Order: sequence, then C-alpha cells, then structure tokens
Amino acid sequence: MSRIGVFVCHCGTNLASVVDVEKVAAAARELPGVSYAAEYKYMCSEPGQQMILDAIAEHGLKRIVIASCSPRMHETTFRKMLKKSGVNEYLLEIANIREQVSWVHTDSGVATEKAVDLVRMAVAKVAKDEPLKASSIPITKRALVVGGGIAGIQAALDIADAGHEVWLLEREPSIGGRMVMLDKTFPTLDCSACISTPKMVDMSAHPNIKLLTSCEVAAVRGYIGNFTVTIRQKAKYVNQDICTGCGNCEEKCPVKVKSDFNKGLSDRPAIYRLFPQAVPAKPVIDRAHCLKLTKDRCGLCEKVCPLGCIDYADEDREYDETFGAVVLATGYGLCDWTAMYDEYGAGRFADVIDGLAFERLVNASGPTEGHIVRPSDGAEPKTVVLVKCVGSRDPKKGKPWCSRACCMYAAKHAHQILEKIPGARVFVFYIDVRTPGKNYEEFYDQTRKDGAVYVRGRVSRIYKEGGRLICQGEDSLLGKQVRVAADLVVLETAMEPAAGARETAALFGASADANGWLQEAHPKLRPVETQAGGVFLAGTCQGPKDIPDTVAQASGAAAKAIGLLNKDEMETSPMIVAVDEAKCSGCGACVDICPFGALSLEILTAREGRWERAERFVCKVNAGLCQGCGACTVACRTGAIDLRGFRNVQILEEIDALWT
Amino acid sequence: MNNFSQQQQKIRSAASRLLADGTVRFVIGWAPTRFAERTTVLFAHTEAEAQALVWNAHCTAALGKYLLDHRLADYAVGIVARGCESRMINRLLTDHQIWRERVYILGAPCPGMDAERCAGCRERAPVVWDELLWDADGMPETGGRQDAAPTNLDEATIADVGAGLALPAVGAACSRPLDTDTSLRSRFFRAEAVEGLSAAEKFSYWDEVYAKCIRCYACRQACPVCSCRACYVDMDRQGFQGKQHSAADNRVFGVTRAFHVADRCVECGECERVCPMGLPILGQTQKLIKEIEALTGEAYVQGMDAEEENFLGAFDLDDKDDFL
Repeated sequence: MSRIGVFVCHCGTNLASVVDVEKVAAAARELPGVSYAAEYKYMCSEPGQQMILDAIAEHGLKRIVIASCSPRMHETTFRKMLKKSGVNEYLLEIANIREQVSWVHTDSGVATEKAVDLVRMAVAKVAKDEPLKASSIPITKRALVVGGGIAGIQAALDIADAGHEVWLLEREPSIGGRMVMLDKTFPTLDCSACISTPKMVDMSAHPNIKLLTSCEVAAVRGYIGNFTVTIRQKAKYVNQDICTGCGNCEEKCPVKVKSDFNKGLSDRPAIYRLFPQAVPAKPVIDRAHCLKLTKDRCGLCEKVCPLGCIDYADEDREYDETFGAVVLATGYGLCDWTAMYDEYGAGRFADVIDGLAFERLVNASGPTEGHIVRPSDGAEPKTVVLVKCVGSRDPKKGKPWCSRACCMYAAKHAHQILEKIPGARVFVFYIDVRTPGKNYEEFYDQTRKDGAVYVRGRVSRIYKEGGRLICQGEDSLLGKQVRVAADLVVLETAMEPAAGARETAALFGASADANGWLQEAHPKLRPVETQAGGVFLAGTCQGPKDIPDTVAQASGAAAKAIGLLNKDEMETSPMIVAVDEAKCSGCGACVDICPFGALSLEILTAREGRWERAERFVCKVNAGLCQGCGACTVACRTGAIDLRGFRNVQILEEIDALWT
Repeated sequence: MNNFSQQQQKIRSAASRLLADGTVRFVIGWAPTRFAERTTVLFAHTEAEAQALVWNAHCTAALGKYLLDHRLADYAVGIVARGCESRMINRLLTDHQIWRERVYILGAPCPGMDAERCAGCRERAPVVWDELLWDADGMPETGGRQDAAPTNLDEATIADVGAGLALPAVGAACSRPLDTDTSLRSRFFRAEAVEGLSAAEKFSYWDEVYAKCIRCYACRQACPVCSCRACYVDMDRQGFQGKQHSAADNRVFGVTRAFHVADRCVECGECERVCPMGLPILGQTQKLIKEIEALTGEAYVQGMDAEEENFLGAFDLDDKDDFL
C-alpha cells in the first residue's frame, strides 16, 4: 500500500472561490493508495505545514500530494518541510490547481472536475516516485563580475569587502560605465564623477579585486560553484605593467577620432584613455585607427614613450579561469534614435542631440568644459526643447517599455539649463511625468517653479526654419497643435540592453526576455537571480533603472554571490538524468541536443556476446552540468536516458490516470 | 547493354585480393540463388567464395545494415558499396555504430536496380570508399539532388502508386523484368503521390496501410538508421506502444518509426523492399524530409558524410523554438 496523503489548499480565497476544495479532498480520499486527505486555508503557512507533519505521523503517510499553487512557488517550501518528517522530500508531487485551474476558469463545476483530474494524476505519479538524494559539489571561492559600470563596481566592492576574491571584467579600456559620463545626479545634484571615481579608485586598490579591462567573455563551461570562463584579453598595445600614464603618447598622436565617450562632440587620439580619470589610468591603442597598425606608418608614440611601453606586436589572448559565482552587470545603451525617428531629422540636424550628449555638454570635464552650447555653431541656446519617451513607451518603434530614469533626468536637464543660461526658456514634451522615488516629486516640482514649461504631448515633427529647429506637436491638454522654435533639442532616448548582453548571458545559461533585458528568476521574489544557478543580475542589464536602484540591486546580487561563496560545497539537485548503459547504443543524439554540454560519449570496453573486449560508445552524464531539463530524454529513441523524478514511466502513469 | 559482367569480375578480383592479403575477414556482396531473377547476400570468407559474388540487376538487397552485426568486432569487414550502401555506412559512422578503420569499402557505382525503388535516387555512385572499382561515368548526375531536374508525376503514375498499395505486391521484386526503366523521377514522388489526395482520401489511405501492417518489424531490421541496441517496440513496459495487432497501435508504431528515422534517413528504400505487405514506408519518411527542406529552404540529404548534424536533434542558441 502506498499510504499517500493528499492536502488541498484554499490559498485564502484564490482557490476556494472557484474550486470546491472539500469536494476535491473527498474525491482524493477515494483514489487508490490514498490513506488520508484534508484541506486547509493556507497549506504553506506554519500551521498548514504542521498539519501535514502531524498527519504524516498520525497516519503513517509515505508519499505526499499537495494540491495548491504552481510548484515553482512552493515546491521547495514543502520539500524543506518533508526533511523534518522522515519522508524523502522527493516523494512529493504538487497538483497545480491555482495557476492551472482557479485562475483560468470561472465555472466552479468544471474547475472542480479539472482539479480532481490533476490530483488523480499527481497521486498516480507520486506512487511511482523514487526517493532521491542530493549530492554535493565543491565551490570555487572566487566571483566574476561582468561589466564595470556602477552596478559591477558596487557588486565587486561588496563581494570583496566580504572577504572573497573578485575579478571584474570590462570590455572598455576603463571601468566607470555610463555613470562617469553623467554630469550631476538627480535629485541631490551631486557631481556624478565625484561620487563614482572614488569608488573606481577603491576598486583598483582593493586587495581582493582583480581588474580586467578590454576583456570579453569568450566561452563558458561548467556550472554553479565552478564556472570555467574563457576570458579574451584584447590587445592594448601598451605594456600596462610599465606604463605610468604620463600622457606623452596621447599628446603626440597625430590621429583624430570622434570620441565615443564625448558622444562625438570632441576628438581623441588613436592612443587614448577613455576619460581623464580612467581606471586603470593608462592609455591603449585603438587598433582600427592607429596609423602604425593599419598602414605601418607613424610610430610616434613608440618614439616619445620614455619607458618603451609601446608594443605594436601585442595580440589578443585567451585564457581560462574558474569562478564560483557570476554577477552580470552588462548595463544599457541608448537606442539609436537616428535610425528610428526620421521625423526628428534622423541625425541630419546637429543641434538635435540625445540626453547623454547633453550630459557631456553640461559636464565640467566635457568637451565644452560645462558650457551649454549648440554643437552646430557653438552659440548659447536660448530656447531648449526636451523631448521625453523618444523610443520608450512606443510599441510602434519596438520599445514598449518605460525607461524609468528619463523623467527625472529631463527635469534635471531643465534645471541645469535654467541655472546655467540666464533667461533661457525650456519646454519639456512628455506623455506622463513619473517620479516615484525619494525626493523625486519634490525635485520635479522645483523644476517647474524654476520656469520649465511642461507640454503634455509628443513631438510629431522637428524641422528647420530660419536657422531654428521647429518642434511641432500636440498639447493634448489644450487640444491644440503647438510649435516651439528651439535653438537646441535634447531627446531623452530609450534605454536598451547593452549590445551583446543577451549573447554573453547565454554563455552562462541565463536568458533574456523578448526585449533583450536579462531575465530574473522571479519578478518579485528572486529579482537578482537568474534561472542559471550561481548567475546573478545587477543593474540595468535586467531592466531600465536609475542609479539608486542600480546600486541597491548590485548589493543584492553581491549578497547572493557572497551567500554562495561562503559555503564550501553545495547541494546539487538529484533530479538529473541517468543513463542505462545496457540500453544506450551510443548514437549521441542526446549529446547534440543538450543545451548545457552535460552529456558526452565515452568508450566502454566490456565483454559482450562472443567478443571478449568489445568497444562501444555510451553516454556519460556530468552531474554538475545537468540541469534536469529533459531534452535528451525525448531525443533518446530507446529511452536509455531518463530523468530522475520525471521518468517516462512516471509521466505515462500520470497520463493513464487522466484517462481512467 | 550494360557492362555488368566486366564489373562483376572487378568485384570478384578485388574481393579475392582483400581476402588473400588478410585486409578483411570477409567481404559482403551478392550471390546467385536457384532462381535466376533473384540474388542473396553472401559473406565471402575465402577466395573461392569470392568467385561466387555476382553483380547484376537483381542485386536489390542493400548490404550496409549487415555491418551492424559486426559492430563490436575487432577485425575489418569488406563490403561492396553502391550509393545507397555508402550512405548507410556514413549513417552508421555518424551514429557511432561502426569504426571506419574496420570497414573496407569497395565502391561500386550503380545504374539503379529497381524501377520503383531506385526511381527517385539521386546518389547512385558511392560517396565514400576505400577503392572505387569503376568510375561513375555515364551514371545519372550525382553530388546533390538540385543538379537533376525533378520529373513531375503524371496522373497515371499517381494512380499507379495507389494501385500498388490497394493490392500489395508481395514478392513483386522477384518478378520484375530485366529491362526496367530506372531513370530519374522526382526525389519525393512517393510523398507527392499522397499529397495529391484530399484529407478524407488520406485518412482512408493510411487506414488501409495500418490495417495491413503485421508488425513484423522487418522495416526496422533492414533499416541502417535503426541501430538502437534496444528498440522501444520490444520493451514490455513502454506504455505508449501497445503490443496488440490493431490499426490504432500499428499507427502509433508507424508514426513513431517515421519520426525516429526522419532526419537521419538515407532514403535507401530497404524498409519498403523488405516489407512483406508492400506498405509505402519510405514515402512516409520522405514526407518528413520534404518538410525539413521546406522549413529550411535548403537541400537535406543524409549520409553524404559522416560528420553531419541531425536537423531534429541538435541544440542551437538560434533555435526558433526557445523552449529552454
């Protein structure tokens, strides 16, 4: 006799308002193998769990079915509970009668019937469940942070301060990310560089942190606790061990390239550092523009370098390192509005710029030393139009999301213009003004009091007339078309995931959503974890956010990484595949289909039939890599590979139960 | 007239040589039977036996699958390989069933032996060999089916295929006249014949097919793709495959078989040749291959080399179906 216990949850009224839970429990009592069935308001609560434990003791239950919400919600809760009971925690099935029944059906009769079906299937499966035991793997006590913006910096510092070794990998020649490009930060208006560069210096000085700039993740093998990462170090052509960052080479270099850091508002040489406060404070050569590397001419930097740091023969290198935990902090980019907004001139007008370019204009260390001028003629603009939600909140442009930070930095931009240019007029075109944050609404309010004119509507067209930019749009509060003749237009463009973020995340087994933002494991309860164990998310790679939220999330991700690295070894899920070597014909269909590289073919030498030492291929499972997805089990025609906890026979038993 | 007799001599002398110098334990080829219009498979272990090997228009059995019986052997085996056999060998290599160094392949370009079976065959010359016995000049175009213009089927041909089914031609292979027309037809003529039917006609067509299937599994035994050590149909606890001889369970078998071989089928046609009930099995698999080609827009021919990837059995980050 199976001695199965069935426990039906009301989930408050979530379930009970649609499903007749008493009827479900009564039906369960009649099922073969069921010794006990009960229902309760909240099975996951303390008294609910105690009720199950008591029933196990009193009725000698050996296997448990809980009819409640999705197993993704509380399967782990109930497994932990079973550890206290003596019943193996894998002799548990969850019948999902909330997401699959009460939330999707309105007819109580039909819903109850379906709930009974699901319970019957779960009972059939639990009878075939086998006790499973978790094993453990050692953990490499070192974290990798991918991305050196403020999120990556914060996460790395927190992990390092907790006493763990951290490697921070940044693809640009300097850490700092977007935050160091900004001038002032809302709502306190403290200087962005003044609060971020000290953190950057802390990073480079921290004994637990190793900084890798101009680096990329080339490949990843392994799994939580032991990721083997192939790091690609791009050639810098400057010996970073000797270079003191004197800057001679940067002064003498004859090449002029538009500076990406200054959003094309100034030039930089081909041997350059990203910005004056760059960390590390040493230049690199941009191989696409260096005359020596492209045309084998010049060589000036080599001549002027007093220490002989220049090495034109430098090459990209790849090497492997092992990490226990990974924090992805790949950040964001601004959408390329020029490709999306022909109606705004598609980049033909020099004085239509994006918000980040304005940050460089208004920044004391920027190309104009903080003077707000028109890029076209260097004149001071008297009328400035700020356009919000350029790209954002526009499904037609393929970006349905709100970029969250723009309402506030538009207010900040308005404030800065009004402060720096006496008599200036600022018009802000908006859809909504969203200021949910501490002191944000107050800041926005102050900006309006400063004189910024907020116009509720989108700009439909920007065109040139008499040397000025005419912004035409509807003021939807007045119900009228308005035209503003502006000297400068700032487009507060949409944030989008950084280029290559999805691909990098995929190397670690983490996924991205339809818009390319990296996917958290649970939108509310596991916001910094991913579906890939040991891979955590920090900052805007997960979705648009401002600096305070980014830093908070980075510390959250760091806490998760620290929690993992504090352990010496960790339990692995026993719900992975196992191979029956007697059946396995070694065809390798499973190997090709495994997304985690967990399967491989090995030669088995054994006596077989009339052959003394027959050699044949069989499949081997790497228990650390297998995530239990089950893709291989359907690829195996023989059924030689089977997923523990979801064996074919268990699933067929469930299906049979539905039809009986 | 063809030059079967000269070519037969080449097979015999090559086989004799391989047996004499110990390169192989035996050579797999064909031998005559007491029926003039029928050959059987011969495992020639001696030079004398090698002189009994024949090569004529009755060499219909494909030999590749016999290698599987020796997959665990530590000796080398010789085999006469036409286009179909060579693709069977590549298939077995791709599936890690045999060791390349333990097979000695005598390449034998083939004119096409069977009017019905070889009509859609584009790859009549071997694609892999250790020794090519004669060159492929004068053979139909090889090296990719796009080279050969498909011949459209006329109504009569479609009716003909259907008729063959209505009255299963048991033993038809024995009574085939010598001078059959083995010229090219559309590669997928079998599938196309059925595609022309209406939904209702298709239903009754397949009902008829599955009512006739006797579940002898001869198709599986002959198939070079069916190399599993244990076949799901033989397992007593494989819940979804009933053992009963009923049209419903036959259908489950038929569809499962087709999907198990779909993306790996080398289209040798052994399944149809050995079917005692004359069921259109290859057409079923070829329909799936045709669908793969429609989906990808690229030619999909299996067995052309030993390193190919199976379309339905590989994980790629760019997969359209991101189920993981």
